[in-house]
Amino acid sequence: MLATTRTAFLQRTRWQRLRSLTMISVSASMVTATLLLTLGLFALLFISAMEWIFWIGEGGSADVASRLRDIALARPGLESSVIGLVPAIVGTVALVMLMTLFVAPLGVATALYLSEYARDTWYTQLIRISITNLAGVPAVIYGVFGLGFFVYGLGGQVDQLFFSDRLPSPTFGTPGLLWAALTLALVNLPVVIVAVTEGLDALPEDLRQASAALGATKNETVFYAVLPAAMPSVFTGLILSTARAAGEVAPLMLVGAVKFAPSLPVMTTAPFIGLEQKFMHLGFQLFDAALFSTVPPGGIGWVATIALTLVILIALLNIVAMSLRSVILRRQAVDSPF
Amino acid sequence: MTDQSHQRIHISAQFSRELEGVRDDVLTMGGTVESQITKALDALLDGNSELAEQVIALDSNVNELERSISDQCMRILALRQPAAGDLRLVLAVIKVTTDLERIGDEAAKMGRQAVLLSEIGVQEKIAAQVRDVAVRSITMVKNALDSFARLEVGDALSVILSDDDTDEAYANAREWLLLFAEENPASLRVAMSYLWILKGLERIGDHAANIAEQVIFLTEGVDVRHLDSQNTRDLLS
Amino acid sequence: MDQQSKNDIALSIRDLSLSYQGNPSALKSISVDIPRHSVTAIIGASGCGKSSLLRCLNRMNDLIDGVQYSGEVLLEEMNVLSAETNVTALRRRVGMVFQRPNPFPKSVFDNVAYGLKLSGVKSQRHREELVEKALRSAALWDEVQYRLDESALQLSQGQQQRLVIARAIALEPDILLLDEPASSLDPISTLRLEELIYELKQTLTIIIVTHNMQQAARVSDFTAFMNQGHLVEFGPTDTIFTRPSMRETEDYITGRYG
Repeated sequence: MLATTRTAFLQRTRWQRLRSLTMISVSASMVTATLLLTLGLFALLFISAMEWIFWIGEGGSADVASRLRDIALARPGLESSVIGLVPAIVGTVALVMLMTLFVAPLGVATALYLSEYARDTWYTQLIRISITNLAGVPAVIYGVFGLGFFVYGLGGQVDQLFFSDRLPSPTFGTPGLLWAALTLALVNLPVVIVAVTEGLDALPEDLRQASAALGATKNETVFYAVLPAAMPSVFTGLILSTARAAGEVAPLMLVGAVKFAPSLPVMTTAPFIGLEQKFMHLGFQLFDAALFSTVPPGGIGWVATIALTLVILIALLNIVAMSLRSVILRRQAVDSPF
Repeated sequence: MTDQSHQRIHISAQFSRELEGVRDDVLTMGGTVESQITKALDALLDGNSELAEQVIALDSNVNELERSISDQCMRILALRQPAAGDLRLVLAVIKVTTDLERIGDEAAKMGRQAVLLSEIGVQEKIAAQVRDVAVRSITMVKNALDSFARLEVGDALSVILSDDDTDEAYANAREWLLLFAEENPASLRVAMSYLWILKGLERIGDHAANIAEQVIFLTEGVDVRHLDSQNTRDLLS
Repeated sequence: MDQQSKNDIALSIRDLSLSYQGNPSALKSISVDIPRHSVTAIIGASGCGKSSLLRCLNRMNDLIDGVQYSGEVLLEEMNVLSAETNVTALRRRVGMVFQRPNPFPKSVFDNVAYGLKLSGVKSQRHREELVEKALRSAALWDEVQYRLDESALQLSQGQQQRLVIARAIALEPDILLLDEPASSLDPISTLRLEELIYELKQTLTIIIVTHNMQQAARVSDFTAFMNQGHLVEFGPTDTIFTRPSMRETEDYITGRYG
């Protein structure tokens, strides 16, 4: 095998050999460059963050333990611009979870309709193309829509109907967790729909025929045979949208993320989640820290710390989703891509 | 219908060539056997022991052909799994070659008797009786082989029907020979030789009829073995 | 038709024609009685309509747009092609196995239990009994009894195809349609499948479409030869393969230019 490849290589013309050698070396150096860049970025982040976290000195914390507690839980006023990381982590996770709750059923239902029920006409083609294109719309535009439609439109209505006693101070008619989650759900809906639709389209026709031949109706086939088989692609869609939701900043500035929220949006007593509350978000905190704060001892330390936390959080969320998916894949005995 | 399909070529031309090859070999074998019995008769009637030796020598050719044909048939059965007309052709060929080989054996036996009798000299009167039966048998073989070559059901049927006449001619010749032996006890040994020859000729006629039956099986797909002539005719009509 | 011969007929096809977009005469006026407890093979060149015919018998053709039938297919008193026919009930009586093994990406047990759940077998214990029975009938129980929770896709191709048969016969159908069931199997798995077909015909009627004529000759009791939407010849398999009465049949089974 190797010998024949070798001979074939030697039999080519000089020019062909030169060309393929060039191609190989160019792509190899591209890969190396990309790897080095990524590694360098992480090293920079990591080193700056560590340097900053463990800085103890003039005007700072007394020892490492209190320094860490300050970084995690600090409130404004305690230390000039540092605002604790933990509330932001909680806010981000709550936002992502709530968004998943909205986007998963909506995206799956839409994909099922498009792929399994709707006839293949120019109209459904148009819808499919539009959805793919929506995935490319800048997220801040969704933010504007969210502010106009959810916060002022829907929120205003809800307040008039259920919370009129509190007016004119708004309850739901102001940016909050629910509206942020819904807005992000909209941002990610096209991603989920496209991923699930592709998953459904890739399922063999055999599967549907097998189900039909056993006397299953259309709906039974879709819910008992097709959807379980497409679960991995549902998770693929959710993994993609998780990363986006955790990292998105621009639309959140419009619909609910704040620099400092006096209370967490989740609580230990009913109703457990404050849908109308403003919340803190790592991405927003990063944006704020980078532009508006100077934290001793200066430099990019604080920003790097937030960035590192965000990256790790996204990685953790993805690992959870991926392991769920690989459990399903293993149950189905389809080779896991990981 | 089926006879034409043998001219229609298989999608695998190689398979067609193989079947054609077997058929050709059967016809070659038939030709050899036919010349064997013709020569045996001539040797007998002319007292030509040299010709008789040739007949005996030809038998090994016939045996060789039989072996080669059955080899080919086995290969076709194993590798091609023939169906319908092709299957019937292969089966018929296997049976036909067996009959041809037996005819060859009978011809060789006749040749040996001819060698013995040539030393004594030809008995004209007896020879005339033998010739009558021999001509009928040889004609049957010739016609049976022709019907195989052309896949003519009608010809095959008349071969089967003519077997009764051959049997009758044999019975007459045998009776005549018995009378002759009673009248000429001194020639008993010669008479016995001729009786052997007559019996052999009658057997040749039977084998020819068997070949004709296989032709009918091959072309029409019906088995007419062990039927009387009336039933055979009914089955074919 | 007297009572006796009526009992021997599993399926009666009367003047069946089929057309769909792109093929206005996929099947042309086909009439044939399929004998009960026997294996009937449908042979013919690609595109002769043999799969279309098979798919009429459990209305799988309904999944294609623009299909139009005429004539009737009688399964006892049920007219299979009638618009009032309950297709779900029909497909439970007429099972089908496809060309490629197509188990669901579920466990071995869930595959066989799929149809049972849909047909309303509620009790888990009852389901377990029926699944075991089906797997035993499909000659698969010995191989998978300790692997019931494993994914069906872990099984070999041959086992998968027998699993798919188990899935179909779990519903205790009267008729089992096999659409080139061995075309993706190796020779040994194919022989196992053929042995299984022989066992199964004791209890149900099997109709098999196959490209492999030797297979048709081996497994079937009756053979139907189709050409360009026509049923050319139907008869006992040994007659069809030794002395077919139609020239077209002879040419096809002996491999001559048609």
